[in-house]
Amino acid sequence: MFRDIYVTFHGFLQNFGAMCLFLARLVQYTPSVLIKRYSLVTYQVYNAGALSIVIIMVSGLFVGGVLGLQAYSNLERFNAEDTTGIFAGFALIKEIGPVITALLFAGRAGTSLASEIGLMKATDQLSAMEMMAVDPLRYVAVPRFLGGVISMPLLTAVFTTVGLLGAHLVAVELLGVDVGAYWQQLQSALDMEDVYEGIIKSVVFGIIASLMAVWEGYNSVPTAEGVGRATTRTVVITAIAVLVFDFMITAWIL
Amino acid sequence: MQQTRTMEVGTGLFALLGIGALFFLTTQTTGNNDFDADATYLVEARFDNIGSLKKRAPVSMSGVTIGRVTDIRFDSESLEAVVSFVVDSQYDQIPDDSDASILTAGLLGSQYIGLTAGGSEFYLEDGSEILFTQSAIVLENIIGKFLIGGPPEDEEE
Amino acid sequence: MLCYARFRDRLGSLTNGSGKLPDKIIEVRDVDFSRGNRTIFRNLNLTIERGQVTAIMGPSGTGKTTLLQLITRQLRPDRGQVLVDGVDIATLSQAQLYQLRQRFGVLFQNGALLTDMSVFENVAFPIREHTRLPDSLIRHVVLTKLHAVGLRGAADLMPSQLSGGMARRVALARAIAMDPDILLYDEPFVGLDPISMGVIVKLVGQLNDALDITSIVVSHDVHDVAAVADFSYVIADGDVAASGTPEELRNTSSELVKQFMHGLPDGPVGFHYDAPDYAEQLLGTRSDSR
Repeated sequence: MFRDIYVTFHGFLQNFGAMCLFLARLVQYTPSVLIKRYSLVTYQVYNAGALSIVIIMVSGLFVGGVLGLQAYSNLERFNAEDTTGIFAGFALIKEIGPVITALLFAGRAGTSLASEIGLMKATDQLSAMEMMAVDPLRYVAVPRFLGGVISMPLLTAVFTTVGLLGAHLVAVELLGVDVGAYWQQLQSALDMEDVYEGIIKSVVFGIIASLMAVWEGYNSVPTAEGVGRATTRTVVITAIAVLVFDFMITAWIL
Repeated sequence: MQQTRTMEVGTGLFALLGIGALFFLTTQTTGNNDFDADATYLVEARFDNIGSLKKRAPVSMSGVTIGRVTDIRFDSESLEAVVSFVVDSQYDQIPDDSDASILTAGLLGSQYIGLTAGGSEFYLEDGSEILFTQSAIVLENIIGKFLIGGPPEDEEE
Repeated sequence: MLCYARFRDRLGSLTNGSGKLPDKIIEVRDVDFSRGNRTIFRNLNLTIERGQVTAIMGPSGTGKTTLLQLITRQLRPDRGQVLVDGVDIATLSQAQLYQLRQRFGVLFQNGALLTDMSVFENVAFPIREHTRLPDSLIRHVVLTKLHAVGLRGAADLMPSQLSGGMARRVALARAIAMDPDILLYDEPFVGLDPISMGVIVKLVGQLNDALDITSIVVSHDVHDVAAVADFSYVIADGDVAASGTPEELRNTSSELVKQFMHGLPDGPVGFHYDAPDYAEQLLGTRSDSR
């Protein structure tokens, strides 16, 4: 029993260490990839970012709407419905925007990255590259990682903005909160620091989500089953890591 | 070729949208309640009791926000709270005998510092200290005194 | 031909400028290799002669593909050396290894074409990565290589639109794109219809002679390999079980080789996977039979 725990812990530690080294190598190769292979990075920005934009916008609209609705119905009891904007804004910019975007990103782009790399591995494409003296880490892993890291803050910004508009739609257009009150309350309550907090989170989550996807794909067992498992693990681990880091960043900033 | 163009247009649109959203968030959702560090001057005030005043609380004069609390500490010699706040340098003609009091926005709102102009011919400048201060009104104290009897004093000095 | 001169230069540098190249282009010396607890090779020795087509045969699961990976240093042996032109490849730095690998062309079992680019781009990929040739010249080279495998007309297709045999031929065109010295074929005949198989068999021999290269064919398909191989190794139980020309192997006295060459269902390689006694397992208690 203790032996099992030890073995599990040891395995975890080994995995974690290997992942950190992997990240270090990704970062190490980043400058040369950005200079020599920027077109690959652009393509991955398209793949991870542009193709996720629809799901992000639709989700943002509805999450914002529901926040507006909830905030309004609770604040109404205190005759404070004018502050709906504050509630929706704070929640979206600091927490919900970055976190939900990261979760959606893991589900939409992370899985596709992991399965794509896993399939490339399973069909010997990575070995083939290595045999053609092309480092698959530089050609496959780094551009995908960078594509995700670049896309996440942009996606988060889009999600949050659309969310604010969604809350605006519900609160102002549907429930009749004064439009001036909505935005003015929001603006007077929010500081630059709050927006920065959201941006910092989105960058960190972008690194986490992209790293997990690339790592799981790159280290998947090269079979159909292994690739499937890698995609599942990508979503699960990304979700947990994002929520843990969300807590840690919030605690650190406050 | 067609595929490449779709990809490029998509990426461009996405980047524009993302950067636009970032711009919106940084400019439109925050008010003009941040003060440029270069264009402010620092003033101190000592209070017996600051209530629940927090860092970054607004400093206002006649209802206009002119500054922001930057630091709150406790002076263990004088046993007083020392509140530092910055004032936008465009408001550089505030008499140095002005009165600072800690007020509450609404009945249960957050607390802020309100300045009431004095009559001096000298103005507050960087490093000045406001000498006339009024502490926060602590609700429990008032209620306590009311229950014990006698009219509540204006201030618990 | 410019490429050719470059390869000679590189060869010269690898053999320390001695000028004359050894006849043995690849030498595997005393190699041990195991995966987990499973020993795959024990004290394996074999040599590949320059300019010949060498077949490496053996029953499934004897590590033929592993041997290719050892030769290209995708794996490192636990013990022993792999020499290419007399140089121990374990001593090469990453950069030197990549330089060496440009001398290898590898045909993977399923082609391993990069799925997100067209046939043309797949063949152009190694050229684009390693040279700064102008587009017109790359086009020229790529079409030449595709023509050599008879697929010039398929240049604009995507890999997903190709049949298995075509994909393997495209992969072959890619493998020879950089004019390698050594071509490695990993099970090139598996899963092909007779016509495609005939095409590949013909290509293996043709390329070897036309390009003046060394070919290593890993396969368990005895008859097709016999048609092209100059020399064969049969690997079983982690070691070389027999070697010789296809003719010699056919007339061998070794039971195992005989079984393998003639495809007999039972022999030294048993029909049954190791198992407890049949009657005992069927009738016996549950405790010892899972």
